[in-house]
Amino acid sequence: MKNIIFKELKELTRDGRFKIVLGISLILLVIASITGISQYKKNNEQYVASTNTERTIWETQGDKNPHSAAHYGTYAFKPKFALSLFDYGVTKYTGNSIFLEAHNRNEASFSEASDQTSLARFGTLSINFVLMYLFPLIIILIGYNSYTKEKEHRTFTLLKSQGVHPVKLALGKWFATFIPIFILTNLIFLTIGLVLSNLDNLAFFSWSSLLTLFASYSFYYLIITTLTVLISMWSKSSGMALVSSLMLWIVFSFITPKIATNVANTNHPYPSKLEFESRIIEDRKNGLDGHNPWNEAAKKLEEETLREYGVDSLHKLPFNYAGYRMQKGEEHEALVYQKHYAILNDIALNQNNTYKSLSFVSPFVPLRFLSMDLANTSDNLHWKFTQAAEQYRIETQKFLNYDIKDNAKVGERGYKMKADKFKELPKFNFTPPSLSQILKENRSNLLVLLLWFVFPFIGLIITSKKL
Amino acid sequence: MANTKLKKQNYKHMITTKNLTKKYGDFTAVNNLSFNIQSGEILCLLGANGAGKSTTINSLLNFIEPTSGKVEINGLDVVKYPLKTKTFITYIPENLMLYPTLTAVENLDYFTKLSRKTFNKTELKAFLTEAGLQEEAHDKRVKAFSKGMRQKVGIALAIAKDSKVLLLDEPTSGLDPKSSNEFMELLTKMKNKGVAILMATHDLFRAKEVSTHIGIMRSGMLQKYSKTTDLSLKELETIYLDIMNFKHVN
Repeated sequence: MKNIIFKELKELTRDGRFKIVLGISLILLVIASITGISQYKKNNEQYVASTNTERTIWETQGDKNPHSAAHYGTYAFKPKFALSLFDYGVTKYTGNSIFLEAHNRNEASFSEASDQTSLARFGTLSINFVLMYLFPLIIILIGYNSYTKEKEHRTFTLLKSQGVHPVKLALGKWFATFIPIFILTNLIFLTIGLVLSNLDNLAFFSWSSLLTLFASYSFYYLIITTLTVLISMWSKSSGMALVSSLMLWIVFSFITPKIATNVANTNHPYPSKLEFESRIIEDRKNGLDGHNPWNEAAKKLEEETLREYGVDSLHKLPFNYAGYRMQKGEEHEALVYQKHYAILNDIALNQNNTYKSLSFVSPFVPLRFLSMDLANTSDNLHWKFTQAAEQYRIETQKFLNYDIKDNAKVGERGYKMKADKFKELPKFNFTPPSLSQILKENRSNLLVLLLWFVFPFIGLIITSKKL
Repeated sequence: MANTKLKKQNYKHMITTKNLTKKYGDFTAVNNLSFNIQSGEILCLLGANGAGKSTTINSLLNFIEPTSGKVEINGLDVVKYPLKTKTFITYIPENLMLYPTLTAVENLDYFTKLSRKTFNKTELKAFLTEAGLQEEAHDKRVKAFSKGMRQKVGIALAIAKDSKVLLLDEPTSGLDPKSSNEFMELLTKMKNKGVAILMATHDLFRAKEVSTHIGIMRSGMLQKYSKTTDLSLKELETIYLDIMNFKHVN
């Protein structure tokens, strides 16, 4: 088999077309890497600077009324994850900071896309763009004529007459198609790893995640290799094989993802922003407003609290009732947001599931999800970040309201929290899911990729015996 | 099983067809064909296009399976042992094609390695020289090679593989007289080395010149089988034309 591999590779190295395409891809890759690294460094510096500045502002606001501080708010910044250099995912559109304030759950803002011109709609060159779109093209270019050239040059009869086992021949051609791209992929991931591990303030870089990304892409290339060689076996001419392989590439990489997006949006539409906000306002109205002691829910809370502590006046409570009511109001508002954001998340999950259901038409789809999750640039990760930020907002409000409750005198309007106490609020800390958790969440994607490999590979073996 | 195989490798009849029949639907390409070729013999199968010559060769290579009957190489059933029997064979089709971006040496190296034989460059060049390929062509890419030069690489392969059987399908068609002569000389050399050769051809003159036996096929059947020495060229021509005319009348 190794003789077949060496001979195929020797032929490949003498093929001018391969050299040109490889050259162009490598140039694009270098450009993508340089711009990616520069963008990553810039964004990461901004993240570090913004986080530090915002924390300093929080800690140095001096003596202040806690509820004023709650309205003054703070920011939760999404870390610039190391592997986002490789795969930008949805980060350009999701925003990277959330304003945390009393009573309101805000959306993430300051997305990169909003800072760019309309040219941004044409997309950005990234390393994973080259690996996901262009490398399969190189595989097709290497392997589309692996069998048809033998038929066209009439070398196949001579080859068969040597007594080569047809499966060995197929595997030889299969390996020869895969090896060049595998070597390139190795070099690229190794370079990314070395570059990343030498960057300052690197956020959440792990070689195991990078290795898993490498394995995922390599596996995808195995699928493309198998299909390309299989098509070459079935085709009567190299032209037909090339057209068929390119059609498959278009279906995998462009048509299926577009159809999936349309189907997902049609079947599971998001509510409009106005509709979404109106529902939240309606639900908030029906509960406790921490600012308003006269609404029905506030009156009810007051009665319950007095009953619970066995007193007949708020002045006789062992704590500041205004701070207590404010906290209860926050808890109600948090539940309202939780309910409506959960609905949004359900829609997002349903959209993703619809999208993923088309994985059986294209192995590109599961790889796309897997790649974004491993790079921590998926909408799944963004959801986790917004959830963590919301949790932090709730904890912050609790911290501030409880300070009023425990330290302010009853009816003390001008109460101020000591400046030093602001430092006691823990910093916002978002840790992305572990590799094992990501893999667990991507079980279906991994399974689909496996099936995409197994069935065509069986087809390859069976067809090789019939040639 | 291994002993049986070993015994069969020294079988007297290197190429055997026993009542070989190949049908494609209603069309019978080869009909009840039987012959043996021993080591050091050349059987030339003569016949018009569609007579069944190439089908016979393809059956011996197991490229197609017989509808009935048997084909054997060195005593081994070709259908049962398709890979093993091919180790004894070198096949040279009408237009032997090689890998155009590889040199003659690289092509020969590749095909010999596929047959599980490894030689160094000097040995490979020696085989090419023995096959009559000029030395300056050894390291040239074969895309510029003439048909005659490619046929010589094929013969070099047979020499390198130490093939016991040579199957040739119209090997001289399209060759100029000089190249054709050279090729016939090579065949005679191979025959003298003990190789069993089956050659399908239209060329009566070359067949008479090189073969030890001649078979004339028509409509998939062997109409005439004779030792070459038993026939003069004139007789051969008469018999051949008689058989062909009979076909024409029908």
